[in-house]
Amino acid sequence: MESMTPRQAFARVLEAKERRRHELARLPFLEKVRIVVELQRMVAPILRARGKPAIVWELDEAEGVSKSFEKPR
Amino acid sequence: MEKTLRVLNELERDGVIGRYAVGGAVAAVFYMEPFLTYDLDVFVILPAGTGGLLTRAPLYEALRTRGYREQGETVLIEGTPVQFLAVPNALAEEALNEALEKTVGEVQTRVFRPEHLMAIMLQTGREKDRLRFAAFEREAPIDQDRFLTILQRHDLERKRAQWKA
Repeated sequence: MESMTPRQAFARVLEAKERRRHELARLPFLEKVRIVVELQRMVAPILRARGKPAIVWELDEAEGVSKSFEKPR
Repeated sequence: MEKTLRVLNELERDGVIGRYAVGGAVAAVFYMEPFLTYDLDVFVILPAGTGGLLTRAPLYEALRTRGYREQGETVLIEGTPVQFLAVPNALAEEALNEALEKTVGEVQTRVFRPEHLMAIMLQTGREKDRLRFAAFEREAPIDQDRFLTILQRHDLERKRAQWKA
């Protein structure tokens, strides 16, 4: 494993993140929508813990995500 | 999302709304990496009510008839909260008129061009818009000539210079 300074390692991580952003940007739109719904699911418990409504979009099975919808509390 | 867009197309076909296009964060997702958002912003031409004033009442009534209920400022349509926005100014109207035809799955829709999205971010001017503007500039495919022309037409060049400084 090549050795590198912490600064080099950090720069490499930033480069990888930039590459990933470009890859994500090139995804088909519906793939991106699935990711948005996944992000909504990830933050939902945090929002509920803060006493805020958690909104998660409902996507049908044709869009690759099982139907689940949390109504705002 | 496809079902939601299908409903919007039906509303336009049936004359409940005029021309519509997707703007806001979901439109941005067409052009850059996906990010967290909760509403589908739909810019519309609404039929004029009595006295020439715009009203969303006929739209909401048509949606209720179809089984879609309001949730605060949005209407939940096939699992997606939709925010209907009557075009508030010349820039949004131009964005709507020049929106691009896009296909989502098997459904056709219209989406604001990235250049108009950026101009609207400048015009709206919130800190959130400034951050998203910067990300858009880095990641989205922008026609710089078209963008600059839009800025000139809508007097946003100075605002652009402020954000660059």
